[in-house]
Amino acid sequence: MEDIILNIDDVSKAYTGHQALDGISLAVPRGSVYGLLGPNGAGKTTLIRIINHITAPDSGTVTFDGHTLCQNDIANIGYLPEERGLYKKMKVGDQAVFFARLKGLDKKTATERLKEWFAKLEIEDWWDRKVEELSKGMAQKVQFIVTVLHRPELLIFDEPFSGFDPINAGILKREILELRDAGATIIFSTHNMGSVEELCDNITLINRSRNILTGNVRQIRERHSGNRYELTFIGDPGTLVGAVEPMCTSFTLGQIDRDGNATATARLRETSDIRNFIAAANSAVELRGFRRCLPSMDDIFVAAVEEYNSKN
Amino acid sequence: MQLQIIIAREYLERVKRKSFIITTLLVPILMLGLMAAPALMMILSEPEKTDVMVCDATGRIAPLLSGNGEVTFTTTDLTPDALRSDEDIQAYIIIGADAVSRPERDITVYTRGSLSMITDSYITSQLNRAVEDVRLEAYNVGDIRRILDEVQVDCTYHTVNIEGEAETSTSSTLSYIIALTTDMLLYMFILIYGQMVMTSIIEEKTNRVLELVVSSVKPRMLMLGKILGIGLVAVTQILIWGVLLGAASAWLMPSLGAAGDVAANEPELASAIALLADPAYVFGIFGWMLLFFIGGYLFYSAIFAAIGSAVDNIQDAGQLSSVATVPVILGIIASMSVINNPGSTLAFWLGIIPLTSPMCMMARLPFGVPLWEILLSLAVLYASFMFMIWLCAKIYRVGIFMYGKKPTLLEIIRWSRY
Repeated sequence: MEDIILNIDDVSKAYTGHQALDGISLAVPRGSVYGLLGPNGAGKTTLIRIINHITAPDSGTVTFDGHTLCQNDIANIGYLPEERGLYKKMKVGDQAVFFARLKGLDKKTATERLKEWFAKLEIEDWWDRKVEELSKGMAQKVQFIVTVLHRPELLIFDEPFSGFDPINAGILKREILELRDAGATIIFSTHNMGSVEELCDNITLINRSRNILTGNVRQIRERHSGNRYELTFIGDPGTLVGAVEPMCTSFTLGQIDRDGNATATARLRETSDIRNFIAAANSAVELRGFRRCLPSMDDIFVAAVEEYNSKN
Repeated sequence: MQLQIIIAREYLERVKRKSFIITTLLVPILMLGLMAAPALMMILSEPEKTDVMVCDATGRIAPLLSGNGEVTFTTTDLTPDALRSDEDIQAYIIIGADAVSRPERDITVYTRGSLSMITDSYITSQLNRAVEDVRLEAYNVGDIRRILDEVQVDCTYHTVNIEGEAETSTSSTLSYIIALTTDMLLYMFILIYGQMVMTSIIEEKTNRVLELVVSSVKPRMLMLGKILGIGLVAVTQILIWGVLLGAASAWLMPSLGAAGDVAANEPELASAIALLADPAYVFGIFGWMLLFFIGGYLFYSAIFAAIGSAVDNIQDAGQLSSVATVPVILGIIASMSVINNPGSTLAFWLGIIPLTSPMCMMARLPFGVPLWEILLSLAVLYASFMFMIWLCAKIYRVGIFMYGKKPTLLEIIRWSRY
């Protein structure tokens, strides 16, 4: 039995004339990175607010660490909202201490930990500057620190990389993974599928307030691969087609590059054996490369949403 | 604990600002300056000299007009047309033949440009007195004017308030002034600090700091912390002014009273000074004002908070905030009539209804109000602000997450049921 830190069971929430969430269920394993995906307006923010105990669900239950989520759990959750800001007129250090104290840290601990983080991200000289003097990216670093400072067990990042340049996004990614390795669980809401493939263990795709796809990223990609393989070869494409076609549901030839390497994409029948396929191909042409095609999360996202929308 | 942290932030962020320190110290000086300005101008400005030509058809009124330093009367035979065309003549009076029996119709004062109020009222009083004298002559009573002057009484009286244990000298003029001042202060503070709550909430919302704060704090707590923090700033300011006032009361007023034989000649002024020199009285009024301010502020700032939470920018807030500003303004207008008639039934009810009670009760207080009425008014006010905060917190909780469309008042009220 997996160790589940956050379990959401059949949660629904409606605003006047608008169903924001409709029977959402998901389970976040402890110590994993969990992707919360979905088009704009799908209900992700509402779900995050429910997890943060900001709004209450109309029905359904939220279980955190084995008990029903309550106000005290907030100190164990860190949340970096998508739309985020700081008090402009306040000094960076004072402000960070303020937020840390709201999360239950005492002033001394907060200051010590902040100094550590400021040193780590090399921003010590910002301490006495006012927030209005910082650039957007700089302010976001401060917000990140504020989110993780109280060492919560569960971290929720909503589009954490927006507004960061690639260098700082890299630093942030590294810090997030470090937090995971230290035992934190991370919920990650984003439209950036590249980072989902890179970071997430599991995902849930919400569309029009319903959960339309959920599971392990690896398994989802395998499931959606549809037995597709890519071949690179030198030789007569016609011979290859003749040799392998009976084993495939589809076979598409690609272009031939300057070195004479040709590519082709094959979709194998369920009944076909992969080793027979390679043997047949290898005897027909000189096989240079062979790999399984996994669809990108981008493709899966678009396909799943379009399929759902056309059905409903 | 969280509430304390929020209150501390709201309070310190404001009190530490230079603008707060400057305003707190500068406003009393400015107020003093404003009060002294008219007196100074009176002293400094040259008295205006006016020569008034009098064209008297009766021939009996003109000789009775006597001038003073500023106004002189000259009898003339010139025709009205000639008087009018002569640019050098500032003012002239045409007195018709029927002036004694019907002065309001037959006496007309013509002026080139307008006269100062003092000059104008002097001319009027001289004309009235002259017509009176002519009429008195018809009764053939010798020395009648001298008798009348001797009989006439024109003075102010010493008033003593016997309610309560100690008998206190009161002065209705002083009560009037105190009522007016505390009333205006209360009105200004409720509006200024109430709107400060509103703008600060709008700022947090547009800044999106709110999203970060509410992930650690219940929205209700944030709203309460903000209202209380800003309220403490106001109380701090009032207390600083109170200390300044107390110092003035303890040091300045006794020396004023001793300055001369004020007591003998001006009993009203003397009792006013005695009253203002009594710190117990001053702090009494001041204490009530503070209590009414706290109640009124909490009541109205809750409404301002709900409105602030519902809109994205100050421009949209304008119209909606009239829900709070209009009752406050009505309160101050009503309290003007309450000052003139502090004992009326209307004044009583205006002093109980929480929308107007802070202003209207303050208007009545200096004239003496039974203690039970004050306590009743305070009880109603404090119960209402608790209800208002409860209601507005429900609206706030929904409002802070609403972006985009400006909501109508009805929609906002509906949010309280979410």
